[in-house]
Amino acid sequence: MSHAPTGLPFARTEVLADGTALVTIGGAWELNQPLPSIVIKGDRAKVVAEGLTDFDSSLPAWLYDNFKNIRQLDISTLPVRLQSLVQMAEKASSDHAQSDHAGLLETFGSWGVESGGSWARAFDHIGHTALGFLKMLVGRAKVNWGDFKLQLQTSGVDALPIVALLGFLTGLIMAYVGLIQLRQVGATVYVANLVSLAMTREMGALMTGIIACGRTSTAYASQLGSMNVSQETDALRALGINPIEYLALPRILAVTLMVPLLAVFATFIGIFGGMIVACAGDLSIEQYLTQAIRAISFKSFLVGFIKSIAFGFIAAWAGCYRGSVAKRSALGVGEAATSAAVLGITFIVIFDAIFAVIFNLFDL
Amino acid sequence: MNDTSDILTCTGLAIGHGKTVIMDRLNLSLAPGKILAIVGPSGCGKSTLMRALGGLDEPLGGKTTLMGVDLAAADGQQRQDILRQSGFLFQGAALFSSLTLRENIEMPMREFLKAPRKDIRQLAEYKLALVGLADAMDKLPSEISGGMAKRAGIARAMALDPAVIFLDEPSAGLDPLSSGRLDELILRLREAYGTTIILVSHEIPSILRTADFCVYLDPDTGTIGGYGPPKGFLQAGNSPKVHAFFTQARFD
Ligand SMILES: Nc1ncnc2c1ncn2[C@@H]1O[C@H](COP(=O)(O)OP(=O)(O)O)[C@@H](O)[C@H]1O
Ligand SMILES: [Mg+2]
Repeated sequence: MSHAPTGLPFARTEVLADGTALVTIGGAWELNQPLPSIVIKGDRAKVVAEGLTDFDSSLPAWLYDNFKNIRQLDISTLPVRLQSLVQMAEKASSDHAQSDHAGLLETFGSWGVESGGSWARAFDHIGHTALGFLKMLVGRAKVNWGDFKLQLQTSGVDALPIVALLGFLTGLIMAYVGLIQLRQVGATVYVANLVSLAMTREMGALMTGIIACGRTSTAYASQLGSMNVSQETDALRALGINPIEYLALPRILAVTLMVPLLAVFATFIGIFGGMIVACAGDLSIEQYLTQAIRAISFKSFLVGFIKSIAFGFIAAWAGCYRGSVAKRSALGVGEAATSAAVLGITFIVIFDAIFAVIFNLFDL
Repeated sequence: MNDTSDILTCTGLAIGHGKTVIMDRLNLSLAPGKILAIVGPSGCGKSTLMRALGGLDEPLGGKTTLMGVDLAAADGQQRQDILRQSGFLFQGAALFSSLTLRENIEMPMREFLKAPRKDIRQLAEYKLALVGLADAMDKLPSEISGGMAKRAGIARAMALDPAVIFLDEPSAGLDPLSSGRLDELILRLREAYGTTIILVSHEIPSILRTADFCVYLDPDTGTIGGYGPPKGFLQAGNSPKVHAFFTQARFD
């Protein structure tokens, strides 16, 4: 349906002697341009066309909206095809009161997705995610930014309590175990170094990554998996929207952004947890803090930060990937959630090991 | 049968799931502004055919051209553009379950139109009114009946004024009145915008009223069992199986 637009859409109102509002419309009406606004007084109106060159749904929609409350509407001089489109909406909305009998529920058997080639599909999914990211950077991807904001909240802010609790306990346990050893050599003051170094380099990122797998990967796998079941992902594709760009990208971005922040938070809470144990008998608060600050270098902070970015990505990606290949059944969605958590945690630990080797090579 | 001005053609198309072929040797062509009905017994592959014709699934063989683009040869962007210019109603409606009906219709508009929010809202309300859902706009898909979901799905398929609309059993779950109005809507869309419509339906009266052509998928032979204007199927003629399907369904 291509047409050369000639002139912007316009609408003019005047009041006739008998009080009827006369609205003159014209120009080329297209969805992609701003439509005129009018104010109509009274409940009688007549619409006439003047130089109306072309229209798509925007015109019947505009007429329907602006004249819904007019009791006597005369559109008899408008093109017939336009009249019928306006009347159709009026008619349908006035006698829609009767109810439908419920439609047949779609029964979704578990049509198996072939199990082989799952690695190929995993790489395929990563490839598409990367491609989507590049398209987003040049502004050519359809991304659901509403989802992005929502996920910042649910995967980030809402995780604060559990991250705080687990971070705190991790620091506390490390201090407790550390003290048992350090007391034997009379070096209890180094418990601050132990806890703060371990939290910044390792445990802050690791704990947060694992929490993200438990909370977020599973949630994403079931969200995307059930959208698969109800053909919502198909519906997106049918609209010319790439589901990876629209659904996975905002989730992966949100989590990759939030996990590092949560990890920093967990790190500080953990160091605080260690302090509670250390200062309960062996050290003064001052001693603990000076030792801790001395132990943390920018390098170790950077190591933890880089890792947490990677862990956030892995957790979100695992959920989106498992969800998008979920079998189309209730069982399939459950399996997707389980396998997302397993995949996420496994990858996080594997990458943690790889990072250890790499950082060692670069002497970080 | 093949004409370059045709908006949809397929030659030697084979469709199925995984490696199982359910229909093959499918040849069809449709001129712009025509209405094609796909009929056949349940499970014969009507939905599968629609998905292949609309470019949603890879066919198992053959060639499909939609709006002048060879779907198998199209790259990602081209295919996305084609998909955007066509509307699709899924058999299960497939509304976005976390969005209200209004938001479901507005979603594609927001993504693809540069129109201001107010105009998009107005357009979405109009499209919902067209299918008689003016009063259910703020309901979630879980709060409406199957027939209402179908109608909302139709409104979403029409959201961007597509040149081609695929409707998979649009009238299933609708009461006779709504179903009659749907026929009228389909005819008016075609009349007003020259929209090409491909639909799956089991309702012979509705097919007779709306469709220009009808294709019968025969599960016994695994290919097309009859093709032509639906009125022709009512007369006992060269395809007895199709004739039986039409007349039996009519008096059921
Ligand atoms: N996702 C799927 N995976 C495997 N087989 C399928 C799938 N969807 C449908 N089928 C099978 O394909 C055949 C055709 O289905 P379908 O096209 O939905 O039929 P119709 O729409 O004509 O009722 C049926 O035998 C059905 O069991
Ligand atoms: Mg079907």
